[in-house]
Amino acid sequence: MTISAERPTEVAASSATPPMQSGRVGWTQRPGWMSQHLGTAIVLGIVGYLFGHWLGNAITGNYAYVQNSGQNSAANFFALLFAVVGWLLGIGALNYPFAKLLGREPKQEPTVEGWSKYFRYTLDHKVVGLQYVVGVLLFMFTGGLLAMAIRAELLSPTTHLFGPGTYIEIVSEHGTIMMMMATSIIVGPMGNYFVPLMIGSRKMAFPRIEAFSFWIFVAGYAVIFSALPYGGFPTGWTGYAPLQTQAGPGMISYLFGFAVIGMGMMAAGFNIAVTIINNRAPGMTWSRVPIFVWSILATAALLTLATPTLFAAGLFGILDKTAQTAFYVSEHGGSSYLWENLFWFFGHPEVYIMALPGFGIVAEILPVFTRKPLFAYKVAASGMIGVALLSFFVWQHHLFQSGINPDMRPLFMLTTELISIPTGFIFLVGMGTLYRAKIRFEIPMLFAMALFFNFLIGGVTGVFLSDVPVNVTVHGGFFVLSHFHYTIMGGLLFAFMAGLYYWLPKMTGRMMNKKIGLWHFWTMFIFFNLTFFPMFIIGLLGQPRRVFTYAKNLQGLNDFSSISAFLLGASFLLFFANLMYSMYIKPVKAPANPWDSLGLEWQTASPIPEYNFERIPVVMSDPYHYSEVGAPPVADLGTSAPPVVSTTSGSSPA
Amino acid sequence: MSTENSMKKETHHLRRMATIWIILSVAADLLFMFWIAPHVPPGTMTDTARANQFDFNVLFLMAFPVLIGVWVYMGYAIVNWSAKRAGVPEPIGGPAARGNLKAQVSWIVVTSVIVLFLAGFGTVALIGGKGSGGGEGPNPVWMPAGSAKAETAALTSSASWTPGSNQVLVVQVIGQQWQFTYRYPQFGGFESPKLIIPNNTEIAFNVTSLDVIHSFWAYQLSVKADANPQQNDVAYAKTDQLGNFTVRCSELCGIWHGAMFNYGKVVTPSDFQNWATSTEAANAANTKNLPPFAWTYVPDANGAAGGYYIDGNVTPYSQVETYGAKQPTS
Amino acid sequence: MTDMYNKSKGYTETPEEIEYELRAKVGSVWSGGRLFIGMYTFLLAALAFAYFYLRTANSGLQWRPHNMTAPTAFGWSIFALEALTAVLAIYGQWRLRKGVVLDWQVAVWTGVLTSLVALFLQIWETTTLPFYPGASGYSSTFIGWVVINIATLVVGVYWLETTVARSMRMRKELGKDNPELSSVATARLFRANVASMTYFWGFVALSGALFLALFYIL
Repeated sequence: MTISAERPTEVAASSATPPMQSGRVGWTQRPGWMSQHLGTAIVLGIVGYLFGHWLGNAITGNYAYVQNSGQNSAANFFALLFAVVGWLLGIGALNYPFAKLLGREPKQEPTVEGWSKYFRYTLDHKVVGLQYVVGVLLFMFTGGLLAMAIRAELLSPTTHLFGPGTYIEIVSEHGTIMMMMATSIIVGPMGNYFVPLMIGSRKMAFPRIEAFSFWIFVAGYAVIFSALPYGGFPTGWTGYAPLQTQAGPGMISYLFGFAVIGMGMMAAGFNIAVTIINNRAPGMTWSRVPIFVWSILATAALLTLATPTLFAAGLFGILDKTAQTAFYVSEHGGSSYLWENLFWFFGHPEVYIMALPGFGIVAEILPVFTRKPLFAYKVAASGMIGVALLSFFVWQHHLFQSGINPDMRPLFMLTTELISIPTGFIFLVGMGTLYRAKIRFEIPMLFAMALFFNFLIGGVTGVFLSDVPVNVTVHGGFFVLSHFHYTIMGGLLFAFMAGLYYWLPKMTGRMMNKKIGLWHFWTMFIFFNLTFFPMFIIGLLGQPRRVFTYAKNLQGLNDFSSISAFLLGASFLLFFANLMYSMYIKPVKAPANPWDSLGLEWQTASPIPEYNFERIPVVMSDPYHYSEVGAPPVADLGTSAPPVVSTTSGSSPA
Repeated sequence: MSTENSMKKETHHLRRMATIWIILSVAADLLFMFWIAPHVPPGTMTDTARANQFDFNVLFLMAFPVLIGVWVYMGYAIVNWSAKRAGVPEPIGGPAARGNLKAQVSWIVVTSVIVLFLAGFGTVALIGGKGSGGGEGPNPVWMPAGSAKAETAALTSSASWTPGSNQVLVVQVIGQQWQFTYRYPQFGGFESPKLIIPNNTEIAFNVTSLDVIHSFWAYQLSVKADANPQQNDVAYAKTDQLGNFTVRCSELCGIWHGAMFNYGKVVTPSDFQNWATSTEAANAANTKNLPPFAWTYVPDANGAAGGYYIDGNVTPYSQVETYGAKQPTS
Repeated sequence: MTDMYNKSKGYTETPEEIEYELRAKVGSVWSGGRLFIGMYTFLLAALAFAYFYLRTANSGLQWRPHNMTAPTAFGWSIFALEALTAVLAIYGQWRLRKGVVLDWQVAVWTGVLTSLVALFLQIWETTTLPFYPGASGYSSTFIGWVVINIATLVVGVYWLETTVARSMRMRKELGKDNPELSSVATARLFRANVASMTYFWGFVALSGALFLALFYIL
């Protein structure tokens, strides 16, 4: 629990409260070599890894199958466990938990000035947000390179670039790293950065838990790639059980990696949910909360409640591989179905963890660029909550052909198709908002519109998949692969890009270059569709997922898809080029409110002061009063500076 | 702009969109129906495949209007309501733009009707299609007539099958890393790497695995059932056409997953009879060494299922030993 | 104002703002505690699901051959200690609300002790099991429960210890005159934290009873 620094009320002011930590300097003010930062974290992480590896071998040294090999699951597990603990110690995440044992209150240190705060355990949610931007881009870039490798292998119907073992390793790492990234890609950067600003709060409820969520997320990156020297893991991102039990020590990296990332997801969701519930500014009633915040709240609920199941599933897997239990070993009273159920009980809500924030961003952006209020706000909010609730009741549609109790299938077919009703609400909201609007095709708007295009295809094919007779053909093939790339990449990633182009001016004070941005958008949109649309056909023609060989007659389509994929990769290079160009090479200063948004996050000064708002704003209306004469201002900011208002021609809010 | 005027304009927009939508949807659906629908997978090699193809086509025919509806709307909005376009009126604001009860309710009603129809339709197709060729687990609830009898008989040594007897042919599919083999209990339980089945016959595929999870996917037969260790997963299809079909593993089962495929063949019942009896005779010596025909096979190098002994004694347990490798006696 | 952050930044906060943020913080501790229990419920539910799933599936008739059971004496003692800690926490909070801070401190220190003993017993139990972890479905889920219960006890004892340590340091800083009951910011947060902690221990005792029944009684 983070507890406030001495901020005595009127009563306490009279009592003799000593100023906090008077006469002592905080760790951030110590000389560089003593303070805690990324460097110390890496050093202690490595020390922890070596120690854990030694310890694991010392404990399990008598096991026949690990004798003298220096490699076994227990050693790998302890190595990773201590590496993560060392990492957290090094970054400073454990300072406060230890100080608390002595009853100390947290030191409310000022954030370090300058760039080094981005490499430290910094508590400012805006710093964490930017750290997350870099973090998820790192995940995305690595996962993207792996995708390029997959498509390169699939240029030919026989094995030519990689051996089958390497290929499966690449496929598994790609899937896992992208799934981990996708759970945080919007909640991490935009959720952390903008939720407090949008609800008029000066900080997060639990800034330490927030910083923890980021740094453990980075640790998860290292953990998942630590599988590579052990030959990776052969199970794909789903980690199905007998194969998981059979796999080598690299499997531990997968299981423990998901547990580590899971802790980050739980921490992030916990902090954000509590913040939204408690830290809303006066007047920020539930009917005025921006729709993006609603989507993040629904996501946070899923993050906090679904992830513990994954955590437990991973724990059982680790126990199977280290303590030799038999959770997933059916010869010994376990069941491989147990993993499938636990995994998908988390896995399906996770899919909506990835979809909902994208909906939120799009619904948030549309009114700004259409100069219209958000259409059917309540339907949008209830749709998001509805999706979140229903998502806990659909997981067995992943198991339609697995030999589960057959009469469960109509039930899960029904629930799965029902979830398309609240998902459809977002289309109602989007189309209603576009109706007779005045659309400005800025880059964020283009990405938002592209989401509707892509997600529609992803959603409709989802209905195909939920239909059991059709599922017989499409389950486990390229059709489903294409389907979820359309929803996650075509939906979430496009929304992420929309959000970046939309909010980066506020985050960094610099505009993204529009010309390169247009090139980026069009190449990404076109090559995304050219990459993944053929995969529907490939799947219908009978190519299963995760194969390195395929029927010769599918080579044309696969090559087409591969070449488009390389160009899609190049489009991401354009994005990075734009990022570098607009942020460092030739920065153009952004106005405080470049899009004339009414959102509260745009009303505060630019650059955003550390305390976000000079005075806690008093919210007077929702931020969607576009084109309305005489609409109330969004909030009373309590400052002398006039609030930034919409300047659309012809509409002048009083 | 007066209210009356704007109302007029509104209907105008919607009517134009609706016209474009209807024309395009009808065109797309007709094109699909006559041009693509007959070729939609999984084809027509079995009755299940035929039924599933019909299901597929119904979904496609419903999907096109939905897709086209949204695209037409978006396209119309992009063309007509762009801020760059001259003469775009100021957007309406206030309560009128914040919601429209009629639009909201009709949207929800329409999507709900579509979705509930699809769920109902899918359920009917699933039950009517005897599980639609999907794996129904060890205790199938929707099955063709006579299959229970045939499967019960399959476990006895007296099981048999003859052409024209209208009897269900029981085939066991055994997945292992990284190949499928097939056992024919009605022919003495011989095991073959070839999947050959008779035409015009109801086939009961009993799918199991010896190691990890595989998935038996006979593409043209429209049969897909996961092969789970220690579990029988049953799926049905009635053959309808002669020809070859592809079998692929569609569940990641390790590094050679991509190479786990072979081809099966539907032949005439009498050809099948000839092949099966001759293979049974040729394989008789091998069949004797196989474990007796059963729905599942448990690897046991270590007592019944390893680990815990029936006499109540606990012995050191190791996964390695269970799977047949001997521990060094160091 | 003694808020160093504000001083260093040249920001000021009005008393209303301070009160508003403090209320948000108290609310956060309150709702955070409840949400934490919600998360923990899903974790334990996953274990309970594994228990019932494997029990029903009974793969290879290996769910629980010979009705193997973990040492029941350990099970009952661990549960009794957990329940005792929960009772102490609840009793302590009742006394705290009555204004008798000393009783609360004694109760919670005793709770730290009892939960540490429970933790010790839970670890010791693993060395005396009459079965191997992979002997059956029951033994596997039991090991899963042991690991989760150890984690629960570590979290619980940490929470107990930090609240009581906070209380003692608060006395050092603010004087011995029951600062825990004052309206100082830190005291209000402290009380919210104690309430959440007590609630959590009630949850631990309840879930402990459920798994006691599953693993030792049934």
